[in-house]
Amino acid sequence: MPSIERLKDMLLEGAGARLLILPALALIGVFVVFPVIWNVYISMTNYALTGPRARAYEFIGLENYVRILRDPSFYNTLRVSFMFTLFSAIIGQAFLGLGLALMLRAKEPEGVLGKITRALKITASILVFIAWIIPEVVAGYAWSAITSKGGLISMLLGINDDIYVRYPFETIVVANIWRGTAFSMILFTAALEGIPQYIYEAAEIDGAGPWYRFRHIILPLISQAILVDFILITIWTYGVFTMPFMIVGPSGQGGVAQIWTLYVYYDAINVYEVSYAATAANIMFLIVLAMIIVYLRAIGYLKKW
Amino acid sequence: MVIAVVVLKIAKIVALWTLLVVIALFFGIPLVWLVLSAFDPNASPEFRIPSTISLRNFMLLVEPVSGVPPLMWIVNSAIISTLVATIVTITSILAAYVLTRYSFRGQSAMLTAFIVFRLIPPLILALPIMILYRSWGMMDTIHGLVLAMSALILPFTMMIAESFLRSIPVTYEEAAMIDGCTRLGSFLKITLPLAAPGIATIWLLSFVTSWSQFVLPLMIIKTPSLMPASVGLQFFFGEYGRVEYGKLSAFSILYSLPVLIVFLAVQKYLKRGIAGLVSR
Repeated sequence: MPSIERLKDMLLEGAGARLLILPALALIGVFVVFPVIWNVYISMTNYALTGPRARAYEFIGLENYVRILRDPSFYNTLRVSFMFTLFSAIIGQAFLGLGLALMLRAKEPEGVLGKITRALKITASILVFIAWIIPEVVAGYAWSAITSKGGLISMLLGINDDIYVRYPFETIVVANIWRGTAFSMILFTAALEGIPQYIYEAAEIDGAGPWYRFRHIILPLISQAILVDFILITIWTYGVFTMPFMIVGPSGQGGVAQIWTLYVYYDAINVYEVSYAATAANIMFLIVLAMIIVYLRAIGYLKKW
Repeated sequence: MVIAVVVLKIAKIVALWTLLVVIALFFGIPLVWLVLSAFDPNASPEFRIPSTISLRNFMLLVEPVSGVPPLMWIVNSAIISTLVATIVTITSILAAYVLTRYSFRGQSAMLTAFIVFRLIPPLILALPIMILYRSWGMMDTIHGLVLAMSALILPFTMMIAESFLRSIPVTYEEAAMIDGCTRLGSFLKITLPLAAPGIATIWLLSFVTSWSQFVLPLMIIKTPSLMPASVGLQFFFGEYGRVEYGKLSAFSILYSLPVLIVFLAVQKYLKRGIAGLVSR
């Protein structure tokens, strides 16, 4: 007769211990994997948010997919999402983040001048960081307020109107750059710190100028970080919902700024066409999945294919 | 010649300062406006120093908006996030223990899957979860929200837990077991204490992630008195575009404080975590 201790040990030693992974797998299975599959099923029905089609919905095959591929508003949201991601992630966040990381590394002269430089560096990086960590709804609210009529941005531009109505796309692009730059800044700062000091010194002794040093020493050494940064911020920016939702609303000011997440929400909640929204979400999910596979390959998973 | 060098050096410093000031202004202005308007009894979108600084906006948060005192949304957020953080921390530590201390078939596939899960946009899950909850009778329930939120955050904390436990040498546990400690004992007396900073980090990060989450409560919770702060906030936007700026800013600041405090506490791990994303 084994003792209680021995029983516990057997549980932890043998196959039993592996069962400790089950709570995690159950949560993921029920609330992540199953919903993704269910979304595929719903997209093949005529399920609606209210009315008779909410209670008794029917299987309609690929009808929604045929319909959406002929829907101009779907192509509009594809285009807006692409432009939003390009301008906000790659052109905005990545370049500003790299620029900031380089500035934060800039040499600090002796004395008072150095102290001022240091204070400015710390202030700028803390503000960039806070913009990134505060709750997204708070960031969205602050941006919708300062781009309202009478807010600072409308004053600066001399336009006595709501900027987010007049320029909805530009507003969400800039707001999202504001929100997300910190990630690239931190990633590039870590990458730059990984470059040994003697490499800079050797280059300087050899008479390499700042541009040459950047182009031929720094850039090749952080190329992996740049690649990963591009992919990750593209995936995240592509999936952004909350800030644009707060600033331009689910319709994206008549479609002008309607990125796909807003499109899905609008179809499901505002016009009750849940199965159509699920169809759009599935197509967009395939695009994210492709980007995730690129990421996995970039960091060394999935070497084979 | 010497003068030219000095001039060039100063020009460089001034250029750097200008750039830093411009960046600080761009990132600082929305934040500064938020703080100024919270203390301004007559707040508006206008950017100005309040003529009288008062705590009135903060005091007003105990008075009901749409039948619910706004502070209750913060209390709801605290309850929901505490539950989520606790569930997520326990399940991810257990799972990470199995992943780092045992080997089994499909293990690396499982890790890969977790990376995929953590990169899925939340809206992709929120829509079908809402549909499922309508038939499961879990719409508008706190437990429904807590479970969905835990599952959403779990892939993220799993990766942190896995890297923390992997950094603790198995030899410590083996040594304890040779000295007569049971496997459970070695887990409780060796692994857990060594992983304590990691566990605290995981709990705090999942707490703030859940605290800030918006899409899931937006889709699941419809009753104002059950809402967390992220969605309760919508009621400050009145009808016909009227916004109660002062109260909303005060509320935003209270709502942001826990996040700022937590990030102050875990910043040490943050850069390491982000650097870990670059390679395997």
